[in-house]
Amino acid sequence: MYQTIALFLTVFFEFLLALAFAFVYGESKRKAEYAPIQEKGYKIRTYWFFGLIGVMGIATVLTLDELPYHGSHAEATTTAETKVVDVVGIQYNWEMSEESFKVGDKVEFVVTAKDVTHGFGLYTEDLELVAQTQAMPEYKNSVYFTFTEPGTYKILCLEYCSIGHHVMVKEITVQP
Amino acid sequence: MEASGNPLVRRGVIWYLMTTSLVLILMMAFGVIMLLNQGNLINITPEWFYKIMTAHGIGMVGVAALGGTAIMWYFLSKYLKINPVIFLINFTCSIIGVILILIAIFAYDFSDAWTFLYPLPFQSTKAYGVLGALLFLFGVLILGVGYLIMYFYLAGRLIKEYGGLGKSLGWDYIFRGKKGYGPPPAVVATTMVIITNSTAIIAGAIVIIGSILNIINPAITMDPMLAKHLTYAFGHIFCNATIYMAVIAVYEVLAKYTSRPWKSNKAFLIAWNASTLFTLMIYTHHLLMDFAVPTWMLIIGQVFSYANGLPVMVVTAYGALMIVYRSGIKWDFASSLLFLSMFGWVAGAIPAIIDATIVVNHVMHNTKWVPGHFHTYMGMGVIAMILGFMYYFNKTEGSMKHSRIDTFSISLFFTFFVGIVGSFLYAGSISVPRRWAEHMPEWVLSDQVGALSGVFVVLATILMTIRFFACLKNVERPS
Ligand code: HEM
Ligand SMILES: [Cu+2]
Ligand SMILES: [Cu+2]
Repeated sequence: MYQTIALFLTVFFEFLLALAFAFVYGESKRKAEYAPIQEKGYKIRTYWFFGLIGVMGIATVLTLDELPYHGSHAEATTTAETKVVDVVGIQYNWEMSEESFKVGDKVEFVVTAKDVTHGFGLYTEDLELVAQTQAMPEYKNSVYFTFTEPGTYKILCLEYCSIGHHVMVKEITVQP
Repeated sequence: MEASGNPLVRRGVIWYLMTTSLVLILMMAFGVIMLLNQGNLINITPEWFYKIMTAHGIGMVGVAALGGTAIMWYFLSKYLKINPVIFLINFTCSIIGVILILIAIFAYDFSDAWTFLYPLPFQSTKAYGVLGALLFLFGVLILGVGYLIMYFYLAGRLIKEYGGLGKSLGWDYIFRGKKGYGPPPAVVATTMVIITNSTAIIAGAIVIIGSILNIINPAITMDPMLAKHLTYAFGHIFCNATIYMAVIAVYEVLAKYTSRPWKSNKAFLIAWNASTLFTLMIYTHHLLMDFAVPTWMLIIGQVFSYANGLPVMVVTAYGALMIVYRSGIKWDFASSLLFLSMFGWVAGAIPAIIDATIVVNHVMHNTKWVPGHFHTYMGMGVIAMILGFMYYFNKTEGSMKHSRIDTFSISLFFTFFVGIVGSFLYAGSISVPRRWAEHMPEWVLSDQVGALSGVFVVLATILMTIRFFACLKNVERPS
């Protein structure tokens, strides 16, 4: 979902940006005194500045209350017990204490690595990335996910870990 | 004709730009090879893919830095007496560094990416021996030392001339209410880059020396998280510094072409001070998926990454639009590339800022979205600034004139660079991971679009480079 929003917003803002540049280019052939342009330009700039601050402020408020770092959000949405699954990345394999799940399972993946840093990326059957965290030696990162759809999910490595990086894939199943 | 006076500076700039343009073409070809392989159009081994990826990454960053330095030195030398020998020492260090790096990659199979994330280089020595990793790390270290020498020298000159780096950043005007305009934009930008990039290189040197010691004696270890902080403090700031050096060309050239002043007023100075501070703070947005980092640090990463968009959007890019608006500017290769480069910079900042949002980063970090945004502000931003400067230099120091072929190659470059970054961003939005030698069937279409676009970008760059070289002879014999 966030991917689509990101793409849409990027295209939208870049379109506006291109319009602004095209407009100024179109006006560039005429010649006028600079001082009045500057005076007006600085006025518009004040609005532009506060407009940007406003947009960024709203985005900050909207996005900072559901951070993926803690289980609290996952806990609030379901009453089931959290399943704790240990995940260890090692060139080029994922070792997991459990590999099959049921729809409705709320899972805490406790992720680490043995040799070098890897990236734990959880992909749905249609290859959409739905959660990730880094798998770093000596550190444990917990990432939470509640399975709502059955299917064959994949764990893809998302941190470059040498020449087998792209074969570091593991399938896990989620039963209905 | 307004020649830069010192013939050694002119010579140096020529060497920098010749190296930059030739290496750029080679590295672009490497980029196309990667896309052809990901798009299943050719077939190279993963070993080769990752070697090429490592070379492309460090090579492109090196190219952007060399070109940016040439711009900074060329314009700074108009305001400040600086010794061109230092300029050439930095060049020599870069060349030695690049040669060591290329030997490491292509003769000793180093392929741990230009970010050499600890402890990967050590792990790889088990398969490939220690020589590749050591040559690579020493190469990067020497390259960094060259820059450090240059920055320290420039810091010394600025302190002598302005009475301190705070003064050359305009603190008198911001905090003490001094009236009028601050130091020339080239001086302000140079000060910002000295502060941020020296910090970056020192962070980089620490983690590189740590990695070297670890390879020589595995009993010496580092904390992998600390190493990652240092690595990204280095990589993030070093890449950003290339833009802040290259943008000096935009200030100088657009002001000259429009005959309008682009001076450092208070808003300008505040913007550059904010950039200095934010650039040092926001590398943590590379660690948003390291949940073990304290959350407050990561929230700073998000909030200040947003804020870091403000100086460019509100002051630099806006200033470029304002200075061009109804100026009767003459559009030629230099002015149009530099104008377009401001578009490229902001266009890249937008998806970058979106990705610095933690909840977005959670599903887009290390996907192709990331190369998508940095190719926008590096390729259509920094590289466009450097190409624009190449023309400007040839025109000002020699007798180059705009021709139709330049309009053609500039259009070709920008049209198809949009194709490359569009294909990357699209791939990111369908969750394609970055740095994968082989792609799943669902993903290859975007790679093929990218590869085709890449071919035309290479073509455009070759055309511009041929023009650059062909006209250089008039610079050698100043009229
Ligand atoms: C013809 C133009 C170019 C093409 C076709 C191209 C292509 C690519 C490709 C395919 C990748 C790997 C993507 C992946 O992770 O799957 C890549 C990575 C990269 N490119 Fe480019 N690129 C081009 C120009 C540039 C420019 C102009 C710069 C910077 C000035 C640049 C800097 C980088 C960097 C830093 C990486 C990251 C390497 C890594 O992940 O270790 N590229 N490029
Ligand atoms: Cu891995
Ligand atoms: Cu990996």
